Amino acid sequence: MQWTTIFKKELLENWRNFKWIWVPIVFILFAIMDPLTAYFLPRILETVGGLPEGATIDFPMPSVAEAMMMSFNQLGMIGVLITIVISMGLVSSELKSGVYELILSKPVSYTNYITAKFTSILLLVSVALLASILVAWYYINILFGSISFTQILISTFFFIIYFMLILGIVMLFNTFFKSQGMVAFLSIVTIIAINAITSIYSHVLTWSPGLISDYIGVYFYSGEIETETWFSLAIAIILTIICLMIAITTLKNRAIE
Amino acid sequence: MTLMSVEQLTKTYQSTNVVDNISFTLEPGKCVALLGPNGAGKTTTLRMLAGFIKPTSGTINFSEENFKKDVRNYVGYLPQFPVFHNWMTGEEFLIYVGQLSHLSKQEAKARAHELLELVNLIDARKQRISKYSGGMKQRLGIAQALIHHPKLIILDEPVSALDPIGRREVLNLIRELKKDATILFSTHILNDAEEISEEILLLHHGKMIKQGSIEEVSDSQDTVSIRLAFSEEPKFIEERLKEIDSVFKVVRQEHGFIITVHDLNAARNQLLDTIKNEDWQLTKFEVAKSSLEDIFMKAVTE
Amino acid sequence: MDSQLIQLLLPIIILQFILIIIALIDLKRVEATRGPKWLWVLIIILGNLAGPIIYFIIGRRP
Repeated sequence: MQWTTIFKKELLENWRNFKWIWVPIVFILFAIMDPLTAYFLPRILETVGGLPEGATIDFPMPSVAEAMMMSFNQLGMIGVLITIVISMGLVSSELKSGVYELILSKPVSYTNYITAKFTSILLLVSVALLASILVAWYYINILFGSISFTQILISTFFFIIYFMLILGIVMLFNTFFKSQGMVAFLSIVTIIAINAITSIYSHVLTWSPGLISDYIGVYFYSGEIETETWFSLAIAIILTIICLMIAITTLKNRAIE
Repeated sequence: MTLMSVEQLTKTYQSTNVVDNISFTLEPGKCVALLGPNGAGKTTTLRMLAGFIKPTSGTINFSEENFKKDVRNYVGYLPQFPVFHNWMTGEEFLIYVGQLSHLSKQEAKARAHELLELVNLIDARKQRISKYSGGMKQRLGIAQALIHHPKLIILDEPVSALDPIGRREVLNLIRELKKDATILFSTHILNDAEEISEEILLLHHGKMIKQGSIEEVSDSQDTVSIRLAFSEEPKFIEERLKEIDSVFKVVRQEHGFIITVHDLNAARNQLLDTIKNEDWQLTKFEVAKSSLEDIFMKAVTE
Repeated sequence: MDSQLIQLLLPIIILQFILIIIALIDLKRVEATRGPKWLWVLIIILGNLAGPIIYFIIGRRP
């Protein structure tokens, strides 16, 4: 009941400040940008001209899987950044403005407070991811050839789990600092660190959540889900839960100045 | 019957005792002022009583049948600088905090409406809070504190940031609330305490230096002041007054004198005798109970 | 061939247009922005895709 109240309030807030509109649109635009450019690039160059007579440009057309991975990679960059930016103030801004003191004086459970906020932003990001990947899939179907719908759904689901971990990390830093900039900065550093360590020791860390997008790539190219995929997803889920648990404890013990 | 009893409450931040070993009880139906200069530890005390910061040591007991372990279910709290979700309307915000306090949606709606009437915001209920004035926000703050029918209402400096009109509105509102709830409010303004509270707790450097009803606190002083004024000031009067044995101190003021005495009866007789014998033209003879301000200044400067 | 191009690009143009419109509506509604409002109008309209995004991320003052 109390959980639903906070959850609904978050949804309403994100509706009023247009996050429910602009985040999905931006995700969609970035998801289709690269495949479209790749498709039209040879023709654009031809039209613009400027090439010496007789010179032929031979751009290999990307495969369906490659085109699809362009969308995923773009979302993995810009999408992650936007996800961090829209969630960096979820708790920290309430701590900073002082509205937190008022909310806290009501019999609000810390667990409800954190998990309801987390779930509402996860829902927003998931919808944006699903919408953008579906639109990209539609375009790629027209331009590059077909790819199975099940494959799209499954890989979107994998990607949502990856974004869930990112939101968990942002939530955690939200309870540490009042400054949104600090929350965003440390979240980005953490995510870069995870990816860097994963790529250096990729042979050992096969269960790292940093490899989820690589496993999605493998799935697109081969059509098979590698066993390690499931482990890295499980690790992502476990890490998210740990982040949220630490966030709840931190908030509980946080002194209000 | 006690509503809340506080024993040896202490809060330590970075090895200084912001609140230092204070004890008191709150009786139901009373309006109690927590008085003290800025930085005396008032806000910290109130936050501990409201149940959202933990004391370093000491106990707070809330007597309530079927007490559910979270004291916040029974306490309404108004922060010193209430901040709201400014994108909500006043009505939405009240319904929101009502539901946070475990009211059903219907209950919260009905209660919000009731309170908007009470604090005179019913016409502004559909406006965004960002459009509210300071006084309106303070009244909304009081309304949100009352949303779950709290047994105890805690208000942190409810009037100090307001202009005279806003202040008057809020004081009248508190007087209204006194009828059916226990109120504890903090202030550094003595007039407010004197005006609406029956009891005061005087806090200084985190310590409780005086507590009791206004009468008790005033009576506990060992001196009484007498104000004198004359239509025409007699010669050497100051010296003559000082000669009277029961007079302890004479202070000249713009219109007359303030005389401090220990034994009121003896002083009164001796003074009136002298005045009569000397035929001084007396226009004012007033026995002044020492005001809260005297007590406050005395306690704080000691 | 060119009609195919338009068909593919039209949805994108519409989405960008929606983005600009809601950014402008939001700009009109919010009380305070970082920096003058007219500057944000320019950024939103001329800033291509990045304009509205930058506005939503850093334009609104809490």
